[in-house]
Amino acid sequence: MTPTSGPAQALGDALAAEYAAIWAYGVIGVHLTEAARSAARAAEAAHRSRRDALILQLSGGGGQVPADRAGYALPYPVTDRASALKLAVEIEERTAGHWRAALPHTTGADRNKALAALTDCALRATRWRRTAGVTPVTVPFPGRQA
Amino acid sequence: MVLTCPVATGRTTSNQGAPGHSRRALLRAGALVALGGAAVPLTGCDLFDRDDESRPPDPLEPLAAEATALEARYRAAATAVPALAERLTPIADAHRAHAEELRKVIGRPAPSGSPAAGATAAAVDPDTVRTELRQAEQEGRENAAKACAAAPAERAALLGSIAAARATHLEALR
Repeated sequence: MTPTSGPAQALGDALAAEYAAIWAYGVIGVHLTEAARSAARAAEAAHRSRRDALILQLSGGGGQVPADRAGYALPYPVTDRASALKLAVEIEERTAGHWRAALPHTTGADRNKALAALTDCALRATRWRRTAGVTPVTVPFPGRQA
Repeated sequence: MVLTCPVATGRTTSNQGAPGHSRRALLRAGALVALGGAAVPLTGCDLFDRDDESRPPDPLEPLAAEATALEARYRAAATAVPALAERLTPIADAHRAHAEELRKVIGRPAPSGSPAAGATAAAVDPDTVRTELRQAEQEGRENAAKACAAAPAERAALLGSIAAARATHLEALR
């Protein structure tokens, strides 16, 4: 374990995941309507505030703050409501995974923040599964690679 | 990393200056210290270190027992209200998986005689059943979050996933 680089690396990875999530919701939102579109907007806003908090935290530590990328490759074409909801579930699980990975590198208030972020991602993934009609709506270990 | 075997301190070696003390007395003193779980006598890691009876309970014991109890509650509720079974069974399965993972981390089987939970589904009204499950789940979620906050690094990810899972169970019970 490298106590100096570990936490910054783990939180940097979480930040990169938040960037990707924000980008993805731009794609997801246009294929949704009404309540689902509002939920996508709220999810995007939540990821933006995690991003901002992480940037503050990481720059306060004096280390490098990873920059956002101009664009991301989608894992599959997102062309309709079904593929948009599928991507939304995957984005949340993936982001949950990065926050989960940050837990061992944090303590105290920082760990609680990482847990809150993991939990929020898991909750959104569950809500997206319900919107998509996917059952079960939960997974046994949110954020853990299957 | 934390050393798992605390090194013995002065207490058990103080007999050196007291030749009148019998060997048995020394052993007895050592056994008492071992039972207290404070230190391992004489050597850093002795053969009896593996004796489960002498180890203090793992701080995750209550959480593992709670996962088992929650599983039982969901199974009982699914039987009592078949209309909810499709929703409740995956959650019961998740609690079982949590209990199994926690047992692995603890490294010991469940203590014998531990309660298999008050798996009585008194209520059969679906709304009441859900409300009661939500209360239990909410408590469980808070306990898992506390355990995560207090855990050493190597346990934090598992406990975080369990806390997050319990939050999603609350959502699924809406």
